[in-house]
Amino acid sequence: MLEVLLIILKVVVITMVMFSLPLPLTYMERKVAGHIQVRLGPMRVGPHGILQPFADMIKLLFKEDVVPAKADAWLFRIAPVVSMIPVFAVFATVPFGDKFTIPFINKEVTMYIADMNVGILYVLAVAGLSVYGTILGGWASNSKYALLGGLRASAQMISYELALSFSCIGIVMVVNSLSLLDIVKSQAGWHWNIFYQPLGFIIFFIGGLAEINRIPFDLIEDEGTLGAGYHAEYSSMRFAFFMLTEYVAMVSMSVIMVLLYFGGWDGPSFIPLPGIIWFILKVVFFVYVFMWTRFTYPRYRYDQLMSIGWKILLPLSLVNILITGLVVI
Amino acid sequence: MSDKNRSLGRFLKKVFFVDLIQGLAITLPYTFSKTITLRYPDDEKWIPYKRFRGLHTLNKNKDGKELCVGCELCQKACPTQCITVIPGEDKTGKGISDRIGYRWEIDLLRCMYCGLCEDACPTEALKLGREYELAGFSVQRQIRTKDELLNPQEIPVDFEGGVIVKARLVTDDKGIKVKADMSVQKKWW
Repeated sequence: MLEVLLIILKVVVITMVMFSLPLPLTYMERKVAGHIQVRLGPMRVGPHGILQPFADMIKLLFKEDVVPAKADAWLFRIAPVVSMIPVFAVFATVPFGDKFTIPFINKEVTMYIADMNVGILYVLAVAGLSVYGTILGGWASNSKYALLGGLRASAQMISYELALSFSCIGIVMVVNSLSLLDIVKSQAGWHWNIFYQPLGFIIFFIGGLAEINRIPFDLIEDEGTLGAGYHAEYSSMRFAFFMLTEYVAMVSMSVIMVLLYFGGWDGPSFIPLPGIIWFILKVVFFVYVFMWTRFTYPRYRYDQLMSIGWKILLPLSLVNILITGLVVI
Repeated sequence: MSDKNRSLGRFLKKVFFVDLIQGLAITLPYTFSKTITLRYPDDEKWIPYKRFRGLHTLNKNKDGKELCVGCELCQKACPTQCITVIPGEDKTGKGISDRIGYRWEIDLLRCMYCGLCEDACPTEALKLGREYELAGFSVQRQIRTKDELLNPQEIPVDFEGGVIVKARLVTDDKGIKVKADMSVQKKWW
């Protein structure tokens, strides 16, 4: 009984945290954007604009939820939810840390909801599902820009998901396990996978950028040519759900990167910090890197995107598997 | 040979993401550099140089007498005819001569701040000052009369300008003003 309660509690906590993530992240994104462009970012709502995300949230809540007259209303309404659920589901198997004991009741609690023995496959598969929401949203809007955005999303996902998954195989070969917990544990004490799989990490990073649709691969919401791409017709909270998806996907990609390549909660032992702090620091760092690249690079052209995915990343990831295999043998 | 070397170099550059890393290395220092923006209405305000042409001001001489003699030259010089001068006889000793501007009005909605009135003025009574926050909530407010323009402006006349000062946004029914605190000054950028 207590076990069930604990799991429900963990699920609730993680979901709440995920739902509130866009608030700090939008603020961070706008501040990073501002400072890279030698300006300040939000400054007027609250001290240093700290209440800006709340103002944005209130604005989105009170806006009219428009469904275009010729749109497929049911698909249009369901699309944001379809894209939102998978990115939340990814966190079911993410280990945020090892066990810890609650004082007073002497109960050991694990810092993850479930330790699946195929965790890495689950993460890749479920994270890939999120693109259905994007495609449905683009299709149901009955707008050419949205449709093009949706089509681009599907093509981009197929080409980059492959390289992304292949680059993970190298890790699985090194660690000999598909469970995320085992992968993290095997990296304890500075045996981080980044040192053993640098090529794999680069492929994973680029594929991850494309997977979460960040610049330089954000062709599905290409402001320059598609208006806003798949969410061109969305407004109010449905649009907010898409934004939420984008930010949670960004966090989940950083989390997976930290788990696979940067030793999860493993930190340098000479600085005594709890594991979870190390974990959060690493994740924040990668979120920052995503934002940093966003405001540094221009967008790729669509054919360039495809040729990078198929002609460079995919063969490289195969080479990575080959080399890893030879070394492991 | 050199062609081959160059293409090899280009290839290596691509492989090690040299250009991309250079790009990141440019934006990173900017992230932590000083911003060049001016937090204008809330915190800071730009004080223009003396040559600035803002709201009109009517000067007085050292004894506190109005320099305006009601000659109407500014009215005639004005391309948009926004100045109304009605001269009157001075029996109270307010002005420097027997003739003063009985009424002196400017319609700021029509004024284009060309400064021709200032040039036409024979007694240097009229000067375009450095006040530039002229937004208000009523049209009536945009017609400024002599009594108001005779008051010295917030920025001292002999102040050189060209600096940023601390400021504070004040909104009342008269209009929007950014009150400057001249004690805290800093150079531009």
